[in-house]
Amino acid sequence: MEGARPTNSEERDGRSKEPSPSELLDRSKMLNFEFNGRRMSAFEGDTVASALYASGVRIFSRSFKYHRPRGLLCVSGRCPNCLMSVDGVPNVKACTERVRAGMKVKSQNCWPSLEHDIFSVIDKIGRFLPVGFYYKTFINPPIEWSRVEWIIRRLTGLGDIEEEIASATGKGPKDGRSIISSSFEHLNLQADVAVIGGGPCGIFAALEAGNAGARVVLVDDQPALGGHLRYSGETLSIDVATGEGAYSGLKSSAVASTLEKAVRDRPNMTVLDNSTAFGIYESNLIGIVRGNSEIRLRAEQLVFATGAHEFPSVFQNNDLPEVFLGRGMQRLINLYGVIPGKRAVVVSNNDSGLGVARTLMDAGVKLEAYIDSRKAVGAPETLAEIEDAKVQTFLGWAVKEARGSKHVSSIVICEVDNEGELVHGTERVVSCDLVSLSTGFETEAWLLNQTGSRTIYDELLREFIPRELKPTVYVCGDLTGIHDLNIAIMQGKVAGLSAAANLPAMARSTELKVEYQRKSLETYSRLVSQYEGKYREGMKHTRGPEVLVVEYPGSDKMRKRFVCVCEDVVAKDISLATFEGFDDIETLKRYSTVTMGPCQGKMCSMPSLHLCSRVTGRSIAQTGRTVSRPPFVPVAMGALAGAELHPVKLTGIHYKHIELGARIMDMGEWKRPHVYTSVEEEYKAVRESVGVIDVSTLGRLDVKGRDAGKLLDFVYTHIFSTLKVGKSRYGVICDDAGIVLDDGTVTRLSETHYFITTTTGNVEFVEEWLVWWATALRLDAYITNVTAGLGAVNVAGPKARDLLRKLTTVDLSSGAFPYMNSAEGEVAGVPCILLRIGFVGETGWEIHFPAEFGEYFWDTLLEAGKEFGVKPFGVETQRVLRLEKKHVIVGQDTDALSNPFEADMAWTVKFEKEDFVGKAALVAAEKKEPERMLVGFVMKDSMVAHDGDQVFSQDGSRHIGFVTSSRFSPKVGRCVGMALVSPEYYKEGSLIRVKSDDALNGAEVTLAPFYDPEGKRLRA
Amino acid sequence: MGFLLECPNCGKRDVYEFRFGGEAHRRPRVNSSSEEWMKYVYMRENVAGVQQEWWFHRLGCHKWFLAIRDTRDNSVMRTFWMGEELV
Repeated sequence: MEGARPTNSEERDGRSKEPSPSELLDRSKMLNFEFNGRRMSAFEGDTVASALYASGVRIFSRSFKYHRPRGLLCVSGRCPNCLMSVDGVPNVKACTERVRAGMKVKSQNCWPSLEHDIFSVIDKIGRFLPVGFYYKTFINPPIEWSRVEWIIRRLTGLGDIEEEIASATGKGPKDGRSIISSSFEHLNLQADVAVIGGGPCGIFAALEAGNAGARVVLVDDQPALGGHLRYSGETLSIDVATGEGAYSGLKSSAVASTLEKAVRDRPNMTVLDNSTAFGIYESNLIGIVRGNSEIRLRAEQLVFATGAHEFPSVFQNNDLPEVFLGRGMQRLINLYGVIPGKRAVVVSNNDSGLGVARTLMDAGVKLEAYIDSRKAVGAPETLAEIEDAKVQTFLGWAVKEARGSKHVSSIVICEVDNEGELVHGTERVVSCDLVSLSTGFETEAWLLNQTGSRTIYDELLREFIPRELKPTVYVCGDLTGIHDLNIAIMQGKVAGLSAAANLPAMARSTELKVEYQRKSLETYSRLVSQYEGKYREGMKHTRGPEVLVVEYPGSDKMRKRFVCVCEDVVAKDISLATFEGFDDIETLKRYSTVTMGPCQGKMCSMPSLHLCSRVTGRSIAQTGRTVSRPPFVPVAMGALAGAELHPVKLTGIHYKHIELGARIMDMGEWKRPHVYTSVEEEYKAVRESVGVIDVSTLGRLDVKGRDAGKLLDFVYTHIFSTLKVGKSRYGVICDDAGIVLDDGTVTRLSETHYFITTTTGNVEFVEEWLVWWATALRLDAYITNVTAGLGAVNVAGPKARDLLRKLTTVDLSSGAFPYMNSAEGEVAGVPCILLRIGFVGETGWEIHFPAEFGEYFWDTLLEAGKEFGVKPFGVETQRVLRLEKKHVIVGQDTDALSNPFEADMAWTVKFEKEDFVGKAALVAAEKKEPERMLVGFVMKDSMVAHDGDQVFSQDGSRHIGFVTSSRFSPKVGRCVGMALVSPEYYKEGSLIRVKSDDALNGAEVTLAPFYDPEGKRLRA
Repeated sequence: MGFLLECPNCGKRDVYEFRFGGEAHRRPRVNSSSEEWMKYVYMRENVAGVQQEWWFHRLGCHKWFLAIRDTRDNSVMRTFWMGEELV
């Protein structure tokens, strides 16, 4: 088996015999999954990593650059060592991914196998790949980049996206789990108080804020709340002063379960487990990723209880498999019942190492040695227990190197002098198969920093601790650099109470309960500062020299001291880069790529900082940390994008079109009939008898108020304040650059009431535009978008009047109801606004009516029109009909540079008005020769032209413009169209050529409409 | 981007409910010089700092209002109706 040690019955031996009460496993349920094509078994609740480790797998990945074997390190999703491909999705963290029956897991970045990766030869030639290798080699390269690119592309990068694509397209593993094929969603949540981190202090913060009446959301990235209480396996000792003395003497995991239940049972509390907050944005918006969901949580107050994570110290071969972080080891043992090895060594520089030693001994692992770089510890009674168990303890010692090829087999330790350097000649070798490192905590302050709150380096605690918190931000627990449960509990309470007290509703309250909470807040705040003072005193006594990066005479020869396990950056790379002048922490990061890998500096930030500080002689505080930006963990693009949701708008008549067999097309968000039968047939009906078209998609606005006319005069280029009641007028809207924005009809229904139509899909914009000018000019005019409420049908053709007469008593005769007039009245018993307009060039009425009558109205029209051979017509037929009339469609025949002069609509511009939007620009434009003109054209012979075809001069030598619309005209018998061309072609009979299907076809410019140029028919 | 904006009508809402209407400038008189018009139509201050700007409550009351916002951190100092303060 790959990566496994060849011993018998590993599967059984990998677990403790008796399940421990802190386990997350259900040992009665077995699951099977596949690892590199091999069947593996797991218990319900196992992660991929715990199941594999229990089955004997030790090598989990090959490193990025040198292809060195790597094993589990943090077991909490913080480091890059267990990235695998799961069901085709690359770079999944095996240590946090739960096993599901049938899942397919594959290792990455190795060939042919994890155990035997031929690219590990790079490790042997590592001296030829110094820091900045790419910059040094490929700037003025001795080798041409194109020749080596394919090799380098093959060797670099993590994971294989091809596999993911294959699984999404059905050519690979597919069980609905693939990132691409599975559905993503967005969730929006709101809270009074958001608590990030579900450890003990986070839970107490949530409980206190909840007690105070706040709506709380608690976010935690683990499957079970309780933080380190879940896996530390200790018996708690809690002071009465904290208010939680009752938990003293209990097992930590039992307390974690009790606390978790307390939070989950509370009605005003939402618990988001398995959820990682990845970014804090403006106005306290928290981005959270939970599986395939992205949750956007908006909170009034933020409590950060994000804790601290461990990182490995830097010594020779510190990246060997089976060198663990202490808390990772505890997780493996206490949460998953795994026995990680047989002979362990604990390396420590703080009291948490003592706890790890206890955990190992309790699990029955033989402890070979306890090594601590301090001369004194903070919990001497635990040290005594370890010594009593006949374990060798080395106080004032540190690790120089780990030995072994693919697994650790021994470590070399040395005495440490007062400066933190190893003493030459004191080497001792300790044989072991497991190394646990408790070599330092780094506060998880990345999210906190994103709020704009600062962190400073505390020389005593040796951590970056929060300072200058922004308003509405609170911190507690390990994040403050203090690792003490009593303090954490009280800090949590202070944070929760403060957050609740600062909620607007609470701050004003004088309720007895609130008064009581204010008192508790004072008490706990006082206690916290007392306890913190004591803690700091204690630290002064136990603190030893800091040995984050081992230095030893000649240690620059120790080439395998890994600082960054993501990008394979070694200590020497950092020193060299700093020496080469990249001595600012930000330039050092970019040059050496340290902190830039998948873990984003969680494992390497502190060691690289120490190295940089040492080479430059600046203090840690002066060196500072790199800026952290979202996301805190890698987030799938799909989760950010969310589900694909497209709003669709249907007219009230839509399903009638479906019944009639119309071909439906998209027009913005609307669905419209493209054509029902054929353009020829529909065209013939409109031109010879009567046709009806659903124009409910037109934008409709109602403008009311004393200044309604004034507003329209200002916004349109035409004049509307003088329009008589009952009349309609075509109008164009320009911006102050004189560019055409929209067009439509304006109808005056009363002195103070206008009814406007706009281009389909543009109504929201026109509404905003009108409301803006009404606001800016402070006019008494009110604009209402009535589009959704109104249906509309255009009835057009020589028989339109005959058809409508059957349904209405409104006098439709040309004398009583001439072209560009309007009337309000009933048609088929439905209250309507009738507009006599002629977009398609025939006698016709555009009838607007309440949308709910749509189907009835449509059916009634078709029924009444049967005797005249009425036909419904679609958008395509309408395009042909209007093109024959040279009626412009804004956006089709104009673009973002068209003014009304270019669009051949000079007649719509009324300069006699004192001012209107676009006047200054149009006055200037009128004086100038236009750059283009919109002209009509007729193709010669049977040649066709398409929308967007390019237009050339007659001899084909000069490009002069492009076709905006073109269709076959049944009237002309040839293809006709409109084009924006150089102004010298704005002349009846000019000859042009249209480049269509790679041929330059002749065409002739026509300035008048192709159909009924005098407009007799639409006035008939 | 995801800050909250207080509509004078509807209260605090997510900025995605609004349409940004740009910097608030005084419109030149119709007979102003073409330089002035060019500046009004095409030029923007684009300050890194506090500016006065238009917002439209697209998914709310459909009203335009003015806001004073710091473009560096999107903190909004004030929102108010046109006329409550000179543009």
